[in-house]
Amino acid sequence: MTYVSFLRAECHLVWRRKQNMVNSVLFFLLVVVLFPLGIDATPMFLSKAASGIIWCAAALAILTSVESLFKEDYHDGSLEQWLVSGLSVPILVLIKMALHWLFIALPLLLLSPVLSEVLYLPDNSFWPLFMSLMLATPSLFLLGGIGSAVTVSLRQGGVLMLLIVLPLYLPIIIFATSVTKAAQVGLPYDAPLAILGAIFFVSLVVSPLMTAISIKASVN
Amino acid sequence: MSWAWLHRLGSPKWFYGRFKAWPKPLFCLACLCLMVAMVWGLAIAPPDYQQGNSFRIIYIHVPAAILAQSCYFAMGMAGVVYLVWQIKMSPIFLQAVAPFGALMAFIALVTGSIWGKPTWGTWWVWDARLTSVLVLLFLYMGVIAVQSALEERSLADKTAAVVSVVGLLNLPIIKYSVEWWNTLHQGATFSITEPPSMPMAMWLPLLFAVIGLYLLSAAVILWRMQTEIMRREARTQWLKQEVLSDGV
Amino acid sequence: MQSYVSLTLSNISIERGERDLCKGLSVVAQFGRLYQIVGENGAGKSSLLKVIAGLLRPVEGEIFLDDKVIGAAMNQWPQDCLYLGHQYGVKRLLTVEENIRCYCPNASRENIHSALAQLDLLPYQNTPVKQLSAGQAKRVALSRLWLSDQAIWLLDEPFSSLDVKGRALLESKLEQQLKRGGLVILTTHQALLRIDAQSIELTL
Repeated sequence: MTYVSFLRAECHLVWRRKQNMVNSVLFFLLVVVLFPLGIDATPMFLSKAASGIIWCAAALAILTSVESLFKEDYHDGSLEQWLVSGLSVPILVLIKMALHWLFIALPLLLLSPVLSEVLYLPDNSFWPLFMSLMLATPSLFLLGGIGSAVTVSLRQGGVLMLLIVLPLYLPIIIFATSVTKAAQVGLPYDAPLAILGAIFFVSLVVSPLMTAISIKASVN
Repeated sequence: MSWAWLHRLGSPKWFYGRFKAWPKPLFCLACLCLMVAMVWGLAIAPPDYQQGNSFRIIYIHVPAAILAQSCYFAMGMAGVVYLVWQIKMSPIFLQAVAPFGALMAFIALVTGSIWGKPTWGTWWVWDARLTSVLVLLFLYMGVIAVQSALEERSLADKTAAVVSVVGLLNLPIIKYSVEWWNTLHQGATFSITEPPSMPMAMWLPLLFAVIGLYLLSAAVILWRMQTEIMRREARTQWLKQEVLSDGV
Repeated sequence: MQSYVSLTLSNISIERGERDLCKGLSVVAQFGRLYQIVGENGAGKSSLLKVIAGLLRPVEGEIFLDDKVIGAAMNQWPQDCLYLGHQYGVKRLLTVEENIRCYCPNASRENIHSALAQLDLLPYQNTPVKQLSAGQAKRVALSRLWLSDQAIWLLDEPFSSLDVKGRALLESKLEQQLKRGGLVILTTHQALLRIDAQSIELTL
């Protein structure tokens, strides 16, 4: 196995499971729809809440799709093969996460203009929202990957994984929504964006390592 | 520098023998400190000029909050030590400290909200500190849940270490983010949470309470560690001899 | 293929959960021979194989390749060691050829073709593995033996779910590996018909 052949196989796999992508997009949309229906559908409330709603929905959609990231690899013995392949497991993990980010998060990003129209997001805060999504959804994947690897050997690991990962998502959601909130009142928003970038780089270093440790511990 | 002490500390046998006699005196000392603090703080210290007697809950609330954070820090460090050096004692420590820390976080939350009722008029305020203690409680629960969900010990140890280390890295970010979020929403209306330099008569009993709770945590954690060592090393010869000669 | 003389397990002790699986096991495995790990269910056959592959850390002991200490980690030498576990990492959603290409990216088209022909998988080259039977999926995993040239093969129950023909085929492949100076360590409950296997006994 080489990194390239691994990437090729993972691409095929993601493509064969494209229904998952559709599912997570639908889930994302449904969560967004819940808010106007459940709380308040007036433009006054929605325009204020839009970025928070989109962000919560995105985080939930990513969490649910990341949960089973390594499940199949665990059950069919692929994780063992990663470990004996002599390749660096953190890099394999990173390749896999990057690929899944492309397939799951990009559609969400592409939907964000439509949703921000539907939720009456003020025009001046769309680009800040988009940038925050761009910068921070990779961190959501990276952190979610740790949770997924930690619970990979459990049959019913879903809730546990949420319990572990959601507290780690809080800062990301806070900074991401404060980007748009600052933009809405005309304040500069580069500081929270920069922090989101910093969180991304930290997770980029920490997450593959931790995920690899958990994978190694789970396989045996 | 010699690392021998670290390796000795890593051996359950050495640790058990070394610290076997410690919990009881520590516990007595802790009780003494806490009694002094409680009597002094609840009966002798003067009432606050703004909050009257309701401020006295500080003598539980603040030590618990401090302990909750220290315990998490210690737990995260134990996690780092385990992941890097595979020291056998660190998962034992981790397992012993997690429920205690969670309890402290819980106490801090409950007393915080009880305190909030007379001072702020509501049970819960989305105050930066309260929120970050709430998140801390969730982080603790995550570690505990992982430990209990994974049946195989080595796997549970590793993953609990991973979860606590990641939590430790996140803790400053969480605290900072919550403060940021809070100040963006509302100014610091609750300046009461930042107590002005306290008079000695209020501060000293608080100091006693904090020290007492630290001692108590040391005693409880050592006890829990001993139990855990016995559980893990149940099959070893040295433990059999230890139990046969000294009893449990 | 690299050539070696011996793989030495020195004083290996394995612990699983609360149980000791083997204590102070020492074996010198000569290249060109086949070693069969035997023992009752739960004696730790698969665990020993995992230890040699570097997936499981032994409590004690070291592994030497010739005179070189390799710790407990054969996986540092992926070009020398091929491990097929109980679950063998075949992706059900990928086709037979995609699976093979993932693990043996350097294999030429002709080699893949001839290996598939020998394994009776040629008609299924572009069929997803999930549509194949268990035995055929096993053959997909075993095709790596035909396509890569590691000196050490660690096989966990390679004969399970194979039919009579498949077993004979695998055995002749193992023979070839021994002839070219390779080492095979495997666990199986079946007796090998043609190969004279050395046994590594594990007792409970």
